[in-house]
Amino acid sequence: MNFYTDRKFHVLLALFILLAAGVVAYGTPLSGVIIISAVILFGSLSLIWKEPHIKLAALVFLVLLSLTNVFANPMRFGIDFVGGTRIPVTLDHSVDSATMDEFVQTIKGRISVLGLSEVKVRAIGDNQVYVELPSNDEATIASIERSLSQQGVYEGIVDGKVAVSGDRIFRTTIRAMGSSELASMSGGGAMPDWGVAFSVDRAGAEQFAAAAKGKANYPIYMFLDRPTDAAIFFERESLRTAIPADSSDKEAIRAMQNAFKMVAGNTIEAYVLENLSDNVTALTNKTRALVSQNASQSYKDLLKQRGFAVVELPEAKMAPTMHRDIGGVLVLERLEAAGLLTAPSLSGSLATGIPNYNYVITGSVGNNTTSSAARAAEAVQRVKDIESILKGGALPVQISLGSRTTVPASLGSEFLKLSMITIASSLIVISIIIGLRYRNIRATLPIVLISLAEFTILLSILGSFTIDLAAMAGIIAAIGVGVDAQIVITDELLKKDKHTQQEKMALAFGIIKTNIVVAIFSMVPLLFSRMLSGLLLVEVIGFSESTILGAILGYLLTRPAYAAIVEMVLEGEKKAPVPASS
Amino acid sequence: MELPNIYKGNYKMLVIFPIILLAVAIYFIPSIKMGVDFQGGTLITLSTKESVGAEDLQAKLRAEGMEATVRVFSTTMGYRVEIEVPQSKSLVQAEELKGQFNTLLPVVSNLEVNAYQNASMNSEYQEKKAGLDAVAGSMFALINKSLASMNITGTNDLQKRFADAYSEVYSDYERSISEPINKHVSYNSMSVQTVSPVLSARFIDSILKIAVWAAVLSMILVFVFFRSVVPSIAVLAGAACDVVIAMGGMGLFGIEFTLASFAALLMLVGFSLDTDILLTTRMLKRKGDPRENAYDAMKTGLTMSGAAIVAFGALFILSIFTHIPTYYEISAVALCGLFGDTFATWCINGVLMLHHMEGKKK
Repeated sequence: MNFYTDRKFHVLLALFILLAAGVVAYGTPLSGVIIISAVILFGSLSLIWKEPHIKLAALVFLVLLSLTNVFANPMRFGIDFVGGTRIPVTLDHSVDSATMDEFVQTIKGRISVLGLSEVKVRAIGDNQVYVELPSNDEATIASIERSLSQQGVYEGIVDGKVAVSGDRIFRTTIRAMGSSELASMSGGGAMPDWGVAFSVDRAGAEQFAAAAKGKANYPIYMFLDRPTDAAIFFERESLRTAIPADSSDKEAIRAMQNAFKMVAGNTIEAYVLENLSDNVTALTNKTRALVSQNASQSYKDLLKQRGFAVVELPEAKMAPTMHRDIGGVLVLERLEAAGLLTAPSLSGSLATGIPNYNYVITGSVGNNTTSSAARAAEAVQRVKDIESILKGGALPVQISLGSRTTVPASLGSEFLKLSMITIASSLIVISIIIGLRYRNIRATLPIVLISLAEFTILLSILGSFTIDLAAMAGIIAAIGVGVDAQIVITDELLKKDKHTQQEKMALAFGIIKTNIVVAIFSMVPLLFSRMLSGLLLVEVIGFSESTILGAILGYLLTRPAYAAIVEMVLEGEKKAPVPASS
Repeated sequence: MELPNIYKGNYKMLVIFPIILLAVAIYFIPSIKMGVDFQGGTLITLSTKESVGAEDLQAKLRAEGMEATVRVFSTTMGYRVEIEVPQSKSLVQAEELKGQFNTLLPVVSNLEVNAYQNASMNSEYQEKKAGLDAVAGSMFALINKSLASMNITGTNDLQKRFADAYSEVYSDYERSISEPINKHVSYNSMSVQTVSPVLSARFIDSILKIAVWAAVLSMILVFVFFRSVVPSIAVLAGAACDVVIAMGGMGLFGIEFTLASFAALLMLVGFSLDTDILLTTRMLKRKGDPRENAYDAMKTGLTMSGAAIVAFGALFILSIFTHIPTYYEISAVALCGLFGDTFATWCINGVLMLHHMEGKKK
């Protein structure tokens, strides 16, 4: 049993160092995944390798790994334990899992824009989503609620006139076009890669006809939430890096003026900060100046002096995308800061001035993507983007916000403290019961130590994700059930009968294996509730996770480690008198 | 701490205990109260600093027209007030109408477009539109408005007004709950859990599927492990009795049937099988006197149950202090089940197995 020269021990040690580095480097929640893999890895190794000291070493390393995680990464608790706010979002109607995933992702995206990283979004059933944040700050909550309920406004503008506005589109008619439809669009030329069709009502058709008359091949600038009462400012260098190499900043500004002009007023002016003339001032006391957050402070101060409310935006949103049309004119295609998302060109047949109710937007995927799978994926993405713009950037489903739940931080921490006390006291009482039952410290101590090890590993894994009320209840349950395997082994081995130690061990392991497999499989359907019924039962999923994890730990670790200890103890007992069974 | 061997003498009489328990349990099962999860409705939980008289508050809320049921618990951190309100009829109706509207809307929108371009489509459009208008009319009636008075110009406008009307019904409902509560109680925090009838029906459907899967998987596994009919049936009978007894306990002690108590019942299937498997394996694989073997298994099994009772007992005590429903429901159901398991395993499964083993010997 010399650890210095033992190859197997060296392997375990190396694995431990590698995994511990991973736990520290990646942090939660990935560290939880690392520890779960470690449980399986070390568990399998200690099932294969027979040496008792290796089995024990594997358990010790796992506990150390779990402790590394607990100390290096803050454990995550649900709002019931840390305090916070839960906002229930109810969907207009039940949706399938794919739509629900899309919905959750969209909400996450909207909230991440607010710079709140600790917000959790999770689906409850098939028509509700919980948004949870570990804060009771009124302003933060209000900003989240606003961003959730906000409905974008879509405008399609041709040469300074609104041609399509979102409230004239029949939302339910917005759809992706099939490939046969696309083929019929090609008109002898190349078939477009993607297309979106939609219909408008009578007023919409008339509006379009008036705006588009005689404007064949003009770009139709598609805006989502086009800012009102705003101007946009660029530093020359950052503008130059974003525009095509063969264009000048003057030409770029002209392209923007084309895109932003509005005949009926509310034009968004675009300026280069270096050329700012003295007469550029805010129109009203609310006029916003959109500027990159990387712009120099002196310019921002200058804009403030001129009466603007300065809005600093990330550089990525301030970078324009431009292309030249068939006539060689530079066209602004996309500038997120101004809400401009795309600019397809108007087909000649729509420029006749005759009202038209059905429209299609088609396009091709750039030639730089070569593989057909990548092209198809990009086409799908483009269709989704356009659909989302036309629907006003709306979530895939209409929503309503429910009453929020608040848990004060003091109450949460009290719950957590009491839960921890409960875990500690149940461990102590279980130890006392086992002590009384066996009246033998050599049988009791290992049971208690291994339960403690199991608890540490369980807490570390679950804490890498989220420990909510149900998961905590599951941890307490796992402590009560976790000692079972050890009680079975101890009772079997302490029996005085004709069976050999090996036979007793085999019998005990047979029982444990059956128990654990059955215990896992009776909880598995709950864990996979979503696959079975399309509903994810979030309220109790934590309970099934922790009880199943507890059972797996029992099978992969308790069994071999406890058996190892017992073998060592028994070796010692050959010299000492055997303790009596009760 | 020496336990008497209950299997000496006429062990078959032992069956009487679980049979009495089962009878009592079956009597109480119909009185299990459904929680908000499965019944639908709204549960409002307040935490307050000062005590609130449950009956007094209930009377006040009812006077405001709220069909509330109020319960008050004292916790280590003040008081917890639970107010249960049945699902509002107009909200239920509004949800139904919304479903109907969303189904009809695409058809009518398409017909409207077609009717612009082709007058022959007009009659069909008008016909379908009348259906949609009827649904919308019922929705507007819920907020005391009439379709005729609203000057709606087309399907797009109708859709917008319909959505507004729904939001209004929803916020009316919320206001009807929060206003009386705010008037009569001062609280530190409030939590509202609303489960629509549609969702509760889906929850029930979902847990039924899960329960069937869990039962079928457990049965298959038990048969695979034992490969023998009588022991398998003995094991499963023990587990089934356990779940029935636990459910009887829920009826008797007023533990609500919720997702949490359902999860606890599922766990009980696994846990009660633990002791049953222990007993059956010991009796099948061990040589010697079956009665002694059964008795030995019982000693081990009771230690196992003891450890579990300690853990769930601790959780139960915690739930009394904190009044966290998830803790209470899980621990109370588990304790009832562990109690039932003691009788189900050692008096039903044990007796069946002894009868089987002693029958084999003859």
